[in-house]
Amino acid sequence: MSIATTAIPSQRLPTRKKSMRFDDRRQLFLLALALPAVVYIAAVAIWPLVQGIGYSFFDYNLLRRGGAKTFVGLDNYVQVLTDKTGQRALINTFVFTIGAVFFEFILGLGLAMLLWRDGRFNRICLAFLLIPVTITPLVVGLIFRALLAVDYGYIGYYLAEWGITSPRGLLAGTTTALPTLIFVDIWEWTPLVALILLAGLKALPGDILEAAFADGATSWQRFRLVILPLLLPTVFLALVLRMMDAFRVFDSIFVTTGGGPGDSTTSLMVYGVKQGLQFFNIGYAAAIANISILCIALMAAAFTLLIRRADVKANEQ
Amino acid sequence: MSTMTTTATLPRIAASARRVTALQKRIRIERTALVLIIAVYMIPVLWLVATAYKPPKDMFSSPPSFLFEPTLHNFRRVFEVFDVWSLLQSSIIISLGSAVLSLLLGVPAGYALARARSRYAIWVAYLFLAIRTVPIIATLLPFYLMMRDIGLLGTWWAVILINTTLNCAFVTWMMFSYFRSLPRDMEEAALTDGCTLFGAFYRVALPTVVPGIIASALFCVMFSWNDFLVAMFLTNSDSKPLSVALLAAFGTKDITWGTLGALAHFSTVPIMLMALFLNRYFVQGLTKGVH
Repeated sequence: MSIATTAIPSQRLPTRKKSMRFDDRRQLFLLALALPAVVYIAAVAIWPLVQGIGYSFFDYNLLRRGGAKTFVGLDNYVQVLTDKTGQRALINTFVFTIGAVFFEFILGLGLAMLLWRDGRFNRICLAFLLIPVTITPLVVGLIFRALLAVDYGYIGYYLAEWGITSPRGLLAGTTTALPTLIFVDIWEWTPLVALILLAGLKALPGDILEAAFADGATSWQRFRLVILPLLLPTVFLALVLRMMDAFRVFDSIFVTTGGGPGDSTTSLMVYGVKQGLQFFNIGYAAAIANISILCIALMAAAFTLLIRRADVKANEQ
Repeated sequence: MSTMTTTATLPRIAASARRVTALQKRIRIERTALVLIIAVYMIPVLWLVATAYKPPKDMFSSPPSFLFEPTLHNFRRVFEVFDVWSLLQSSIIISLGSAVLSLLLGVPAGYALARARSRYAIWVAYLFLAIRTVPIIATLLPFYLMMRDIGLLGTWWAVILINTTLNCAFVTWMMFSYFRSLPRDMEEAALTDGCTLFGAFYRVALPTVVPGIIASALFCVMFSWNDFLVAMFLTNSDSKPLSVALLAAFGTKDITWGTLGALAHFSTVPIMLMALFLNRYFVQGLTKGVH
């Protein structure tokens, strides 16, 4: 024992000195590995974002001759928030996000509970349910537009025929178009919510669940008092992920209604793309984009706080 | 004590037997519910498939016809109207190009961020995560002007470069979480055995995260393949991918739903098959990439 303790320092001393230098070398190596990605993101993502913030303070339209920029301060932002279409887009985006995510969560939770039992059967079911997630949102929009067509669509024809909807169909009505698009979003993304919640359910501590079973609690009590509180961090995570995605909704709206009828389905992204890439109103579109970034950031911050709190609570239990 | 157990055992067995049959009944109910849900759920997908094989005379019949003789007419028509091979080529080049570039940038970065001692590393990782949530319109406008200025507008490169920002951010975050859950011991052991730093990364750490790399690649390909907004504004008629052609064909009078459905086959079936065959990695990507 004593031999060993005396032997080790004498052997270690030189290597330790070397390992100091080695550690520096290692950190440099890691820096070199990270650098290309960091530089790339800085140049191709962050720099355009900074430019976008700059543009948003200017009246800048590419179609205007000479492409002159005039500084207008916060005018673009004020205009988006007071403009009728701008307000409509903001309201639509929030209604869409909250409506879609609410139902996706309720249905997704139910689906996750159904799929919870481990087994081949459930895994195959999950694989099928995830098919909509893989389909291009473009094609999803196309499918539903065809299905809901009043003259030849499998759903639209009968809905109109039986007098459930107006003869012009769901997507042509100013009050029905947005709920229909929410429904399409629910169809496409509920399985993803279910999958995230399922991963959370499978990670729950088994002993607590068994104790709850042994207590003779009813399944509703078990769910409400044991499972849900433990699952809360995952629930918030699923909610914030879907909310951030739903807030950026563009593809399915663009393909099915193009934001219409009127501006009844115009979302912030649809409005921004129209202003920026069709009318080349760069300053105005940049303001729209920045407003949506701000909203997304606020949602993310709020939910991060909620997740932290829920994590602490779940750990206390 | 012994008498108590003997009297108590019988009802307990009966109770547990009752519980087993109750469980079996429950599983049966759950499975029936799942099958029903999937059946309803698949209607839109089945419609897409069915439409592509519908003869033109049944296409616009009102009320819609449910029975028809399947035909390949729509697929022949697709090849007449569209240059399918060129569209496929563009889609493949854009998605593979972006996937390769994203992996080359993102995998080493994810490793570095997971292993770095710096306390800024985690913040850089969060930054990458945040980049993924930015609406594409915010970067697309300035990027469009940038590409116009350097003359890349209308090329595959423009699309690959902008898709790579989101994909690279995704890969970095995903690989960061994979490498972080990997114990350092093996790399340390390799290093004391005289392995180089690069060797410890390339030959020791990398092979253990192959599932993560497959999942990342799958998601990069899926993202670029499915996008049309970026491609619509950055490509021209020579470099446009399938998704843009699909959108352009949509709403044109002489193109029927059947032709569109057949074209949509090309843009959905490859990804669908990939997701089904690589289901394990697909599921991993969906759950792990978000945490």
